[in-house]
Amino acid sequence: MTILLAVFAIVSAFLPALAKILGRRVFLVAATVPLAAFVHTISVGPAILRGDEVRESIAWIPDLSVVIATRLDTLSWVLALIVSGVGSLVMLYCAQYFGKDEKHLGRFAGILLAFAGSMYGLVVADDVFVLFVFWEATSVFSYLLIGHYTSSKTSRGAALQALLVTTLGGLVMLVGLVILAVETGTSLLSEIIATAPSNSLVTTSVMLVLVGALSKSAIFPFHFWLPAAMAAPTPVSAYLHAAAMVKAGIYLIARLSPGFAETPSWQPVLVGLGVFTMLLGGWTALRQTDLKLVLAYGTVSQLGFLTVVLGYGTRDAALAGLALLLAHALFKSALFLLVGIVDHRVGTRDLRKISGLGRREPVLATLTVLALASMAGLPPTFGFVAKEAIFTSLLEGGEAGDAWGWIALVGVAIGSALTVAYSIRFFWGAFARKKDVDPVGDGDAGAAFMFSPALLAASGLVLGFLAPAIDDAIDGYADSVAPVEGEGYYLALWHGLEPALFISAGSILVGILLFVARNRVIAVQERLSGVPTADGVYWQTMRSIDRISARTTSLTQRGSLPFYLGVILLVFVVAMGTALALNGTWPAAVRPWDSTAQVAIGVVMIVAAIAATRAGKRFQGVLLVGVTGFGMSALFALQGAPDLALTQALVEVVTLVAFVLVLRRLPARLGHRNGTGSRGIRAAIGISVGLIMGVAALVALGARTADPISLAWPELSYIEAHGRNVVNVALVDIRGWDTMGELSVIIAAATGVASLIFISGRADDETKGRRRAAKAEMKERRIQAKAESGSDNPRTSWLLAGRTIAPENRSILLEVVVRLTFHATIVVSVYLLFAGHNAPGGGFAGGLVAGLALVARYLAGGRHELAAAAPIDAGKMLGAGLILATGAAVVPLFFGLDALTSQFWEAEVALFGHIEFVSSTIFDVGVYFVVVGLVLDVLRSLGAQVDRDLEEDGTARSVMPEADAPDTTPQTERTVS
Amino acid sequence: MISLVPLVVLIPLVASALALIVGRRPGVQRLLTIGALTAVLVISVILLVVVDGDAPLVMELGGWEVPFGIVLVVDRLSALMLVVSATVLLAVLIFSVGQGLADGDSETPVSIYYPTYLILAAGVFNAFIAGDLFNLYVGFEILLVASYVLITLGGTEQRIRAGTTYIIVSLLSSVLFLASIAMIYGAVGTVNIAQISERMGGIPVDVQIILHVSLLVAFGIKAAVFPLSFWLPDSYPTAPAPVTAVFAGLLTKVGVYAIIRAETLIFPGPELNPALMVLALLTMVIGVLGAVAQADIKRLLSFTLVSHIGYMILGVALGTAAGTSAAIFYIVHHIVVQTTLFLAAGLIERRGGSTSINQLGGLLKAAPLIAVLFFVPALNLGGIPPFSGFLGKLALFQASAEQGTPLAYILMAAGAAVSLLTLYALVRVWNLAFWRPASDVEGYESDLLANVSEAPGATTTQVNRTTPKLMTAATAGMVVVSVALTVFAGPLYAISARAGENLEGPSYYVDVVFPGSNDE
Repeated sequence: MTILLAVFAIVSAFLPALAKILGRRVFLVAATVPLAAFVHTISVGPAILRGDEVRESIAWIPDLSVVIATRLDTLSWVLALIVSGVGSLVMLYCAQYFGKDEKHLGRFAGILLAFAGSMYGLVVADDVFVLFVFWEATSVFSYLLIGHYTSSKTSRGAALQALLVTTLGGLVMLVGLVILAVETGTSLLSEIIATAPSNSLVTTSVMLVLVGALSKSAIFPFHFWLPAAMAAPTPVSAYLHAAAMVKAGIYLIARLSPGFAETPSWQPVLVGLGVFTMLLGGWTALRQTDLKLVLAYGTVSQLGFLTVVLGYGTRDAALAGLALLLAHALFKSALFLLVGIVDHRVGTRDLRKISGLGRREPVLATLTVLALASMAGLPPTFGFVAKEAIFTSLLEGGEAGDAWGWIALVGVAIGSALTVAYSIRFFWGAFARKKDVDPVGDGDAGAAFMFSPALLAASGLVLGFLAPAIDDAIDGYADSVAPVEGEGYYLALWHGLEPALFISAGSILVGILLFVARNRVIAVQERLSGVPTADGVYWQTMRSIDRISARTTSLTQRGSLPFYLGVILLVFVVAMGTALALNGTWPAAVRPWDSTAQVAIGVVMIVAAIAATRAGKRFQGVLLVGVTGFGMSALFALQGAPDLALTQALVEVVTLVAFVLVLRRLPARLGHRNGTGSRGIRAAIGISVGLIMGVAALVALGARTADPISLAWPELSYIEAHGRNVVNVALVDIRGWDTMGELSVIIAAATGVASLIFISGRADDETKGRRRAAKAEMKERRIQAKAESGSDNPRTSWLLAGRTIAPENRSILLEVVVRLTFHATIVVSVYLLFAGHNAPGGGFAGGLVAGLALVARYLAGGRHELAAAAPIDAGKMLGAGLILATGAAVVPLFFGLDALTSQFWEAEVALFGHIEFVSSTIFDVGVYFVVVGLVLDVLRSLGAQVDRDLEEDGTARSVMPEADAPDTTPQTERTVS
Repeated sequence: MISLVPLVVLIPLVASALALIVGRRPGVQRLLTIGALTAVLVISVILLVVVDGDAPLVMELGGWEVPFGIVLVVDRLSALMLVVSATVLLAVLIFSVGQGLADGDSETPVSIYYPTYLILAAGVFNAFIAGDLFNLYVGFEILLVASYVLITLGGTEQRIRAGTTYIIVSLLSSVLFLASIAMIYGAVGTVNIAQISERMGGIPVDVQIILHVSLLVAFGIKAAVFPLSFWLPDSYPTAPAPVTAVFAGLLTKVGVYAIIRAETLIFPGPELNPALMVLALLTMVIGVLGAVAQADIKRLLSFTLVSHIGYMILGVALGTAAGTSAAIFYIVHHIVVQTTLFLAAGLIERRGGSTSINQLGGLLKAAPLIAVLFFVPALNLGGIPPFSGFLGKLALFQASAEQGTPLAYILMAAGAAVSLLTLYALVRVWNLAFWRPASDVEGYESDLLANVSEAPGATTTQVNRTTPKLMTAATAGMVVVSVALTVFAGPLYAISARAGENLEGPSYYVDVVFPGSNDE
């Protein structure tokens, strides 16, 4: 069986390609696969009839107990025969149905075959989850097939509706199946049914499973998707929506019945909804004018019928129900195929427009009569046999004192009358001569076209005579439902003058009367048309889901950053506040501060922070934030961490410079605040966050029980890492991996700044235009400048600013001082770098000092001066730094050591004395490079490039022509291509 | 074997440095980047095989004995995450190479793109192998700062605006994370995760809860758990398609990963599980409602992303090995499928000139291959069996049913409903963008879509007749991977299950980092 499933999958994947060669004959290829399945099923028939089972099993996900287990018993065997047999006939029919040049046939054939495979899988699956896999697969393929005519809005909508309704049921069912599997401890359907525990959880889960079954089989209140699905090509209606897919739910009911028919509310639900659906479907069918819709509502009705009978739960009802299922599959698919032929022959399915077709197409009419007879339950068809059995079995139930037996009996008897009525209506609609309608013209439906429906219709008749044989084949299932003592009911054409026969006769009579009075029936129906329909409910539900979605989303997705931040902080306040309120462990004693200096600094920081939030100007805000940073630095210093203090102070300076460079491009005042009302809320949130954070920190520190690991660091640093500066050893060695990561953070940040600045200058076409104008202007001024100075060798000048910055913006004193101290500062930075291991300093501080030297050069002499001071690409600098740092991590790996392991060498060298070298210094050099690279990048982008933009905007008056600048510039900017 | 562990971070970093140095030669950069990520992928697979077959690998960086230095720990969960993220990063990289080649590199500044992408990768990998809470923070910082650069790539107004939201919210989460680390260090005096786990037992439960809550808020922002998730749909969709794909696929999952570690190692107690379950529920439901209300495919996918984070949180919140296993499997599935869908959306944008379903039509006819590449992962995300999305939900449902509390059943029901709504949103895209003929496009009106403000990043790019083969190939490759997750679900789930068992209680992990400490 699993091999067959694989063949289904493989062949369907190749059909689209084959269709390009074979055209519509591709369906002949497709038909062979279900035919093979049919032959295989027949071949195991004898074994099944003996009561054996055919099982196969392949493990798929053992941890979730999902096993590709298949099992053929009587029930599966019957359904497998239907699925494969009708499937191959429908595919044969397709080869005639579609035009030679019809488009997308390959896709259609592939999906249809894939559907057939899934349906086959569904009926043979023994693992509930695998069953569900096939179950949903049929839904998806049905979606694709219903929407086959993609250009029609109706078919797209119907496809979506069918998918959503059946998937809704499917998911509910999945929940039920999971609970059942967990409760029984197995996922095998056969074992679940054999165990069949009964408790309220199981009852609930069985009901959930039934929701899935009912939605798939179009039982009220889910029935509406089926008539809408008639937008599909007719072969799809015949196969999916008559013979196969809609039977899936019925199959599941039949499958579960042996174990769960006794479940409370099983019978009321199935019989109640089944009867209602049967009547609703039959009643609605009576006023349809599209032949396909007559059949569709008829199918709804019959599915209700099947639900009643197979859900009833006695042996005889099960036998009768399975017989009806078989009969229905045969006659309903035959009828759909016949409608397809009528449609092709006449060009319409509207029964008001067809007249006189019976005379033109006697064969077609005869076949239709055959199929209709079985549907209406006329002897000697198999439909009659099934219906007799049903009446008898329900009567038995009622006589045994079961009220639901009577309800079911009355319901299906009335339903049968309706069935008779719409059967006649169908025949009348398709074949009768009607007044005022022109009879159809000449034509030929074609014999090959009629092959499949003929075979299906005829088998309905033949099986009627073979009733005892069918009985032998299927009573195995019936016995499994509820074994009875003695002889149970048996299927036969003639049971004598039993009550069932009279009920049949009565329903036929009523049916005929209903047809005769058809105009009055329609009139009554029209009067009732105000009653809300399930379809209407569906659309309302969808619309309200859409509306709720839109409303919720516009409530939460405000697009406002302050709102998002407010929500996050509010969550923090509420969650942490609750946790703190429930906290019972408070520190016994709190030492509020170590020295009064701390208090003073703290107060300054707090004031600065609060003032920063109220600053009206950007620059003011930046400075105030800077105060908090320097305050932090002072706190570090007081805590005995000169290294941290130094670094923090340097960072603050560089940050301040970067801010100032950026602020040149921004309006001085901060944007106006949006709404004063929210300001109070924001302040409240801000203050609460601060307070809660403080209290939480207090509680956390108060709960400390173990010594912090950092107590061991000083000793470790000195003994193992040969460094007296713990902070530096921590940075480059003990936690060097963090530092390496942070280096890449710096690189990413520097790169990001460059990317934004250089891109925006480039992408803006307007500035390009202006740039050209500015260049032209500069050229003119350059000539002028040359004439004035009389010199044409700019390279010789020591202070470049003289050529590039307007006199009123220069400070010669500053320029000279900066030039003179530059090299000294660099030397200091290098000293800090190497001294860092034992004294305050390190790569970070050193890099910052070097960076500040560059900052000074830039501030004093402008961008050309900067280019002269550092004639190197910032990107290369960053890259080199990272190479050094990562190199220090990688190299030890080659020696089988852990990454970043440092080495220590010492030697006595003449003249120099004792020399020590720790390999982590190389790492620190990397840090140095990266920091310098960062500063350089910031200066180049936020400084030099913004200068250039400002000049081009015409806002800077102090411009000297670019071409006049020394040659060091052009290639050193980091360009972004 | 052990030396392979740090390489997953070092290789991308070295490659990034080299890429910066060769700045002006995009061809070399491209080769470096592809080579580096391929190498990491290979290493990750080896690590997974080794770790799954034997024991977790622990490297004490710099040779410093635990707990004094930083340790890198690769257990099954880490190795699995490494493999999946390396796969996704490589596929998206190839996609972006294809896009860049076709666009003549005019839009994307490659000299910045490749090094930053590599740094992002290094951050993601670092986060997955960090055995140290502060180093986990560093991993987050690396990937976040790199992502700041990538999300504002090109510097258009929309991207800057979206980037501002993204950056500021991320900074806030980083601040909260850092503060949490400080408090945890304050309480237990260490940042080594295994040691924190050991020492946390000695802290009173009410103080534990305070620390736990503050850590969860920080991780919740990163993972986009409701109501900390609003920033995500406003920022992701505006980035270039491959960037969005990798963000959506990976970054939030790093947050979920951190939550798993926090819940299983640092705070294994059940105190906050019910609260987490409620949050999972809200995340699922509110997220998917957002998806239903969207007309823009990328924005819609961002909302499904938020929604499905809820499923993973559900698994974690159950607090059982089965729940954790299910969450792990779901993460793997979701990384792959969400990335694939965003790549497919990139293809749609390129072919159809838009990602708004109001403007798209006739794609099935125009581009049948793209149709398949969208449809399969869409069904997968919608939880249609037999795909991995279904299997993940099945696992979550089973774990919930095994727990059997009323809340667990409610979450099962919500999970089923959200699955249906996800399917609804995605199938509507299919109906309109693929099935509906292009000629019908103008007539489409919907009151719901009118209510929601259009995606701020609904950029209209030019319609291209052809899609570069490399882009299609990368997407197709991801679709194949997503289907492979289904086909090989057996062994994959087995690893997830073992990873989940390892995380049932912190002792397995702690014993690995401190061998012999628990010899009682």
